[in-house]
Amino acid sequence: MATELAKVTINGKLFEVPKGARLIDVCREKGFDIPSFCYYADLALQASCRMCLVRIEKMPKLQTSCTITVTDGMVVTTQSEEIEKAQRGMTEFLLANHPLDCPVCDRGGECELQEMTFDWGGLEERFTEQKNYYAERYLSPMVANDPQRCILCKRCTRVCDEWMGEEAIEAGGRGAHTVIGTYLGWLDCSQCGNCIEVCPTGTLLDATYRHQTRPWELAQTISTCNFCSDGCQMSVGSRSGEVRRVVARDRYVNGINGEFLCVKGRFGHPFINHADRIRTPMIRYKKGGKLIPATWDEAIRHVATRLDEVAEAHGRNAIGVVGSPRLTNESLHVLRRFATELVGTENYTTTDLYSLQTFFENLGAPLATHRDIRYAKTIVLIGGDPSELQPLTGKQVRQAVRNGGAQLILVNPIPIRLREQAAIFLHTNPGTEEAVLLALADSANDQLAAKKGGINSEHIGKAREMIANTAGDVVVMFSAALSSEAQAVLGQFATVFGGEGRRVLLHPLPLFNNSIGAHDMGMMDRHLSPEQLLDAAGETIRAMYVAGSFLPEHLKDRADALSKLDFLVVQELFENETTASADVVLPAASYAEVDGTFTNNSGQVQRVRQSIPPLHQSKADWMIVAQLAKELGLDFGYELSASAVFRDIAKNVPAYSGMTYPLLKDESQPVQAHYATAASESDGIAELRKQVENLDASGEKITVTPKVGTELFRLGRLTEKVPQFQLLASGNPRPETTAVSPLYQITVLREQANGHG
Amino acid sequence: MRIEAIGCEPLQLRRVHLENSRGLDVYRRNGGYEAIKKVLDGMSPDDVINEVKKSALRGRGGAGFPTGMKWSFVPKDSPKPKYVVCNADESEPGTFKDRYLMERDPHMLIEGMLIAAYALNAKTNYIYTRGEYKYLIDIMDVALEEARAAGLLGSNILGTNFSCDIHTHSGAGAYICGEETALLSSLEGLRGHPRMKPPFPAVSGLYACPTVVNNVETLTAVPDIIKMGGEAYQKLGTEKSGGTKLWSVSGHVNLPGVYELPMGYDDMEKFIFEDCGGMLDGKNLKAVIPGGSSVYIMRADQIAGKDVRMDYEGLVAAGSSVGSGGFIVMDETVDVFESTKNLTEFYKHESCGWCTPCREGTDWLVKVFKRIDSGAGRPEDAQLMLDLCDNIEGKSFCPLGDAAAWPIQSAIKRFPEDFARRLTRNGDGIS
Repeated sequence: MATELAKVTINGKLFEVPKGARLIDVCREKGFDIPSFCYYADLALQASCRMCLVRIEKMPKLQTSCTITVTDGMVVTTQSEEIEKAQRGMTEFLLANHPLDCPVCDRGGECELQEMTFDWGGLEERFTEQKNYYAERYLSPMVANDPQRCILCKRCTRVCDEWMGEEAIEAGGRGAHTVIGTYLGWLDCSQCGNCIEVCPTGTLLDATYRHQTRPWELAQTISTCNFCSDGCQMSVGSRSGEVRRVVARDRYVNGINGEFLCVKGRFGHPFINHADRIRTPMIRYKKGGKLIPATWDEAIRHVATRLDEVAEAHGRNAIGVVGSPRLTNESLHVLRRFATELVGTENYTTTDLYSLQTFFENLGAPLATHRDIRYAKTIVLIGGDPSELQPLTGKQVRQAVRNGGAQLILVNPIPIRLREQAAIFLHTNPGTEEAVLLALADSANDQLAAKKGGINSEHIGKAREMIANTAGDVVVMFSAALSSEAQAVLGQFATVFGGEGRRVLLHPLPLFNNSIGAHDMGMMDRHLSPEQLLDAAGETIRAMYVAGSFLPEHLKDRADALSKLDFLVVQELFENETTASADVVLPAASYAEVDGTFTNNSGQVQRVRQSIPPLHQSKADWMIVAQLAKELGLDFGYELSASAVFRDIAKNVPAYSGMTYPLLKDESQPVQAHYATAASESDGIAELRKQVENLDASGEKITVTPKVGTELFRLGRLTEKVPQFQLLASGNPRPETTAVSPLYQITVLREQANGHG
Repeated sequence: MRIEAIGCEPLQLRRVHLENSRGLDVYRRNGGYEAIKKVLDGMSPDDVINEVKKSALRGRGGAGFPTGMKWSFVPKDSPKPKYVVCNADESEPGTFKDRYLMERDPHMLIEGMLIAAYALNAKTNYIYTRGEYKYLIDIMDVALEEARAAGLLGSNILGTNFSCDIHTHSGAGAYICGEETALLSSLEGLRGHPRMKPPFPAVSGLYACPTVVNNVETLTAVPDIIKMGGEAYQKLGTEKSGGTKLWSVSGHVNLPGVYELPMGYDDMEKFIFEDCGGMLDGKNLKAVIPGGSSVYIMRADQIAGKDVRMDYEGLVAAGSSVGSGGFIVMDETVDVFESTKNLTEFYKHESCGWCTPCREGTDWLVKVFKRIDSGAGRPEDAQLMLDLCDNIEGKSFCPLGDAAAWPIQSAIKRFPEDFARRLTRNGDGIS
């Protein structure tokens, strides 16, 4: 469809631009700079800062170019004496009550108000009166606030509402005494910190980075987040070998997430430089003994010898190789080569909670990118809770509905927060979402699904109709916890609903930053779960090589499995339940210390870049494995280059063929893995029906919406090392005073309590 | 306190002096609910809109927009519900006419709203009253209940198939909520911030549905327009300003009160010195703010002997405007610097804080006024204030920025002596 063009004259030059385009965007694109604060792409229009004024012929007053859409024959002036006076006047107004304390402001150097003042402000200050005063304060352990610096552009309140759906901050007071704040004096929200990110001044600040460095002293490294599977692009700010902060500011990084990050991505980084990091290789010379520091050579030799012994005594399949879905593709690839080519075992897997292997084997449609989600017309979400587990996806869904008019069909036993956006909410009995999936795919199962799910079969029909009548993209997203039968049907969903003018795109929702990459690297192709491996420990499995560690969920009811092994090697950042049974512990480097790639839930392969040197004696996981392989007699030939490993991946993994690091360089143009898609030959629906018929639907319906943070604040292996997350996990208590850092108050109090106790 | 029609038969003030004037039976005995009967007895919605157009009725809230035209902007084919909202957030300083109308003749407003609702096919309608007018809400609620009981409100009004209802709603005391889009935000339960125009409320107003927002006095004019016909109503006034207008007179006159004058009443000097009983204590006239605080202040010599006609065109020609008809008379004892400072403090207090120029501009201006008041005035302050006003005027999000700038601009230009006296160094008179 060709877009209609409009002729518009800007400053005497004629341009042809799409009709209905926003004037401010058009002017900027054509090279006419227009200042603005409140205008922010894809947020509701505000038109309150009055910086973007232009003169349009035949209109009586100056107009805000952010609210004007281009019409044919429009004549616009963006530069004139009148406009310049207005802009200087606005800047002067904005600075009137601003404290001008740039030298002590954390935002100084990357502040839009500063830049705007240099570019558009007046030369002298005429304001000589007393400024309105408000005290600095903390809004939460993550967000610090200096209300005096605020220019009330309300980007923060809009992202809180439109991106997050939380409405945790709002303006209070009136007129010049308007202050951005919280409802009950304490920020009760998911603590994403996006309000900090979009703030053009030093009003909302990262409380964990307060007065640490000036922004220009930081080295900015563009990298990929290592928490959930969305793969947000971010800029890691480091100084003197220490990661000080993580941001997504568009002046540094421009990825799939724009300026969006969640609480983990933004504030979860302090685990990197944590004092508990394992410093050297360690060997436990006899069971029950202590871990004794060793040199790398010693440790590698020890591992090589012991693995050889086990293989000789019990056969190669007696060795299990386990990787973490947090590792880079490079590490997982080397680990799999190590398992298959060197150890020669069939027993390898990852420590993910769920496998998507069946889904990928039945993949019949492309994976949806986050951009596809934002512009989708219909979104089907089966199970899962992206607002908590894949926050970027959650935000895209919310915006697709709120700003893009998409329809959301929600199939979930829990009334998750996204139900506020849902056009149809199929509230199933616990554990029966797959019944609805079956009915959506095949209407013959409506009655079965209605009975199992405890829902009205008419609503299923309506949902099916909504999908079938969509003009545009249908994105089907689903929790990775669904059974393999369900995954097989989902993979083939396009054959049911694809059609003229309608694309069906799939979006799995695994839990970890490289869950998808682990599949791509073939770590899951044995359909072996970590639980199965653990259950065989001490019997068919005699030794394990673990890069990462087992999750508490895996070890539940299997606490002694690891101690049954003859030999256990663990590569880790921190000591934990898995290293407690290890015979050798090797210090691994975190994502901030290595080069590599992660593959997100859209199948986009994105770069991880080293921002600080590996801490202590730690090494990248793949380097450790490669060194061990060399000791055992196989040289992969990668030397010390992650890009060499990636070249090897591109050669061996068809979905990655042709990819190189230079091709992945631009984070604004992410490269999607090209998965083979094929029509399935097996009758997935019949299989799923059998599965559904046996579902236990006796559970009582869950009617309570989980509180914000239910999943986000649950402490993980990494976040438990971050003191602020400890506060969040303990209910984010409001400290006695908001004038002093809550963390400081609580730590001091705890120490005092201990001292007196 | 005088409440009187001068130069015309009382229309709006016809019943206000009657005993129990707010009762339904008094209203009906005196011509009440005849107009809605006439409307339901064969007039089409378009007929009603045409009569209002012919009447040249202009919005009485302050902006003076032709009411018939406003009504005709409502898209008839929209599938959405339509709303009539009565703006009873009378908060313009110096204005108190709507209060009398609602207090003494509430059924006239109800009838006017019924006719508007009929013309626009609105089923649910609201009267939005400023928070300080709580007692008026009680009066309106009683009247609405009376009307409902008498079959004048609710379903099948007067036995026809026309049904509609009216509800009252209280503001929380913000001046900005008199601005129609902020009023709608507040009515929806949101913060009282103005909204972007376009879309105008006629297309997307309350709950994003077509909505007409009219002032109390505008709506109470409608029954008479229907009864006497649009043309006859227009002829009471001038060609472009039809009918009669209420003026809330306050300040240094002997007979302050609410006056109903025909549009085009000749002239302002006679009005002050004869109708309003002349200046208090025989002092000299210094200044008049004729249309509520947001219009240009006038000097006595712009009035005396100048034949200022009291209608939209006449007042613009004389250098001010009708506004809301809040007629404030000041005698020679008034220091215009003081009165302007007072007004600016009001605008600063009431600025909603949405846009930069109004929020920061009014705050700064008040600070300058206070500094000057404390004796630290500087010769360049007058220019500074004019420049700040210029940076507000025409650049704010809603018209309230302009409303804050105009009184200051006109005061400095028309009463420079009151400012100059303060803007000297060391009181030596050098400016």
